[in-house]
This record gives sequence, structure tokens and C-alpha cells, in this order.
Amino acid sequence: MDLALFVLLVLIAGVAGGLIGSLTGLGGAVVVIPVLVIAFNVPFSIAVGTGFVTILATSSTTGAAYVLDHLSDLRIGMFLEIATVPGALLGATTTVFLVHANLSNALLIALGAVLLAIVPGTYARRHIEIPTGVVPDRRSQALTLSGEYHDAALDREVRYQAGQTSPALGVMFGAGWTSGMFGIGAGAFKVLALERFLGLPMKVATATSNFMIGVTAAAGAGIMLAAGYVNPVIAAPAALGTACGAYVGSRILPGLQNRTVRYVFIPVVAGLAIEVILRGLGLP
Amino acid sequence: MSSGGAPPSPTMVPLRPLPDEAYRRMAAVLRIGLFASLAILVSGVIAYLITHGSEPYGNAVSSNPILNYLSLSGLLSGLAGGHVEAYLTLGLLVLVATPILRVASGFYYFGRGGERWMAGITFAVLVLLLLGVLVLGPLIR
Repeated sequence: MDLALFVLLVLIAGVAGGLIGSLTGLGGAVVVIPVLVIAFNVPFSIAVGTGFVTILATSSTTGAAYVLDHLSDLRIGMFLEIATVPGALLGATTTVFLVHANLSNALLIALGAVLLAIVPGTYARRHIEIPTGVVPDRRSQALTLSGEYHDAALDREVRYQAGQTSPALGVMFGAGWTSGMFGIGAGAFKVLALERFLGLPMKVATATSNFMIGVTAAAGAGIMLAAGYVNPVIAAPAALGTACGAYVGSRILPGLQNRTVRYVFIPVVAGLAIEVILRGLGLP
Repeated sequence: MSSGGAPPSPTMVPLRPLPDEAYRRMAAVLRIGLFASLAILVSGVIAYLITHGSEPYGNAVSSNPILNYLSLSGLLSGLAGGHVEAYLTLGLLVLVATPILRVASGFYYFGRGGERWMAGITFAVLVLLLLGVLVLGPLIR
């Protein structure tokens, strides 16, 4: 295969990743990383570095709109980045050390397991009601972790405040570590922390998670780039493809039945995860 | 202050929103950074295909050209010499720098609003991000 065809195929994989990622909410890296490893025998560390770049492309594509809509809570997002960023730095460093120790296959198996763990969460019915009775802890009060947004469906302003910040910080550190190790957005874990422990409304949690994912990925990408684990010949077409796919996905999403989309595409991600595990086990 | 959706909580945290300007500036940082990096990457990929498109792909996967452009002097000489890989690296650096600039603008707005704790937290995040790129990454290379 010559380079032109390879670059074209990586670009197409990126478009597919961006499209599927934005339609399912899983992010483009969950498609791009397995495809690079399985179809092109790209080393795991380079695939992870590429994953970070695709996250950066997708989060910047969709993030600006959420910020302008005031759906992303900048205050809460930036407060929680104090946990996700060290987690991502530690995760990326862990991956580099494990790769140096020739444990790439173990990382592949772990990546497949993480992907399979994330998939069921996207099937779960999201609660759309506004949380009530959220009791802010002292940190939430001191840092005024509260906000307000206009809910178009309810046609009124909705006010919210952050509840228990300590467990949220703990989950965010774990989300950052997972993201850093495997080059994925780990948005499912971030949304969990924002909804369950901070008690934020679903829309704010989703938008704030997206807002934070870019910075978490920048931490991982910065390390992998500086350590030489981002190959521009692979990462550049992957980034372009995912940005295009995410943009198209965000345009067509409102016209599609969300549930149908998930039932169609999530088996694809699950299949890729199983392939990655098999590759890690050395099975054909 | 609205009455909608507010939980009947024993303690209500007062609202202290960032100015609208902060939202606009941060969205602008994300958009400009994305478009700048994508523009560099698109032209870089096209130029790369023209110059290297017929070569076997295995060489590009096994050897990583980015290692030549990770120092400022290496990147600048690569750009000056018209090396396409240097331009691709620049596009990726802009992509990585975009969220970091967004954090820096957050630090600015919290500092300007006299919020010492939030400014301190944002500054710590900024320092961690820069330490990752400038110290930790090269250390584990």
C-alpha cells in the first residue's frame, strides 16, 4: 500500500470515527484507535497519541457552540480540571512506561475492556428531569459553584448548584487517568461525576464534560507529543477526518432518532473492542 | 435571579457568573485555534501527498518524523527548509495549544474578577499542562 492510499484510509477512518462518535456520544477516538491498531498495525502508543489529537479536533469543533450557549459551566469545569489534568498526565505517563516494558498487549486488552464497559452506559435511559434537593458542600459554597441556563424544552431559566465536590474530584481524577492511558475522551465518567455527585442538570453536565474533555486531551496529547508518540503523518489525516465527521454528525443529529442511531452504531464499537482484546491476546 | 428549577435546598449558593465577554472570548479561542490548525493540517497533508504519496506507507508508520521537530530550533529550521512534516507538526501543536490558551483566558478572567481561589486553581491547571508538555514529555521520551 502506498502512502496516498494509507492517508486516505486514515482520513476515512477519522470521518467514520467523528460521525459515529458524535452520534453516539462516545467520541471519535473509540473508533480511530482500534482501527489503527487492527487494520494498519500501528503501535499502541502511536494510536493513543492519535486518539488524543482526534479528541482535540472534535471537542474544539463542538465545544465553542456549547460555550456560547452558556450550557457549559466554565466555573465548575475549570474547577474540576484540577483533578482531570493530573489524572491525564499520570495516565499518559503510565502508558509510556508500560509500552517501554513491552506490555502493549496488556494495554490493548485493558483498552478493549474499558470500551466494553463504556458501551452499556450509552444505552441507559438518560434522566431529563432537573435534579432537586442538591446540598452544596463547603467547597461548593466557597467557590460559588452554581449557575443558571435557559432550558428551551422547559421554556424557563433553570438554576443549579454543585453538591458533593470531593467524590466528584475523585471520579474526575479517575476519568483523567483513563483518558490519559487510552487516548479516549472518557466523557461517560465525567458526566457520571457531574450528574451523580454534583447534581447538575443533564444538559449542563453533558456540555461541561465536552468543555473539559479538550483540556484533559491536551494534557495527554502534550505528553505524547513531547515524548514523540504522535506521528504527524497519521495524526494529521485522523484529526481532519474526525473534525469533518463530528461536524457532519452534529448537523444531522437533530434529524435522527437518537435511540436508533445508538442501536446501529454501538455494536460497531463493541465489535472493535472485542477485536482489540483478541489482538491483545495474540489471537487472529 | 430566576425562580425556575431551583431545588428547595437549605443552602442556596449565590450566582457569580463570569462576564459574557469571557464566554465569547473562550469560544473565539476554540474556533480560531481549530480553524488555524485545520488550515495548516489540510495544506500540509496535500503537500505531503504530492511529495511522498507514492512511497510505501510502512516507512512513515515505523519512523516518526516528529522527533526532528520537537525543539524550537528544529521546528523553525524545518519550517524554513520547507519540510512538510514540520508544518504538520506545527498544525498539531496549534491544536494542542488551543485548550491550553482557553485555560489561560480563564485564569485572566477569574483574576480580573478578584476571585483568588478560582484564579489560583486555573493557574495550577495551566502550570500542570505546561509541565506535561515541557518537562514530563521530554523526560519520558
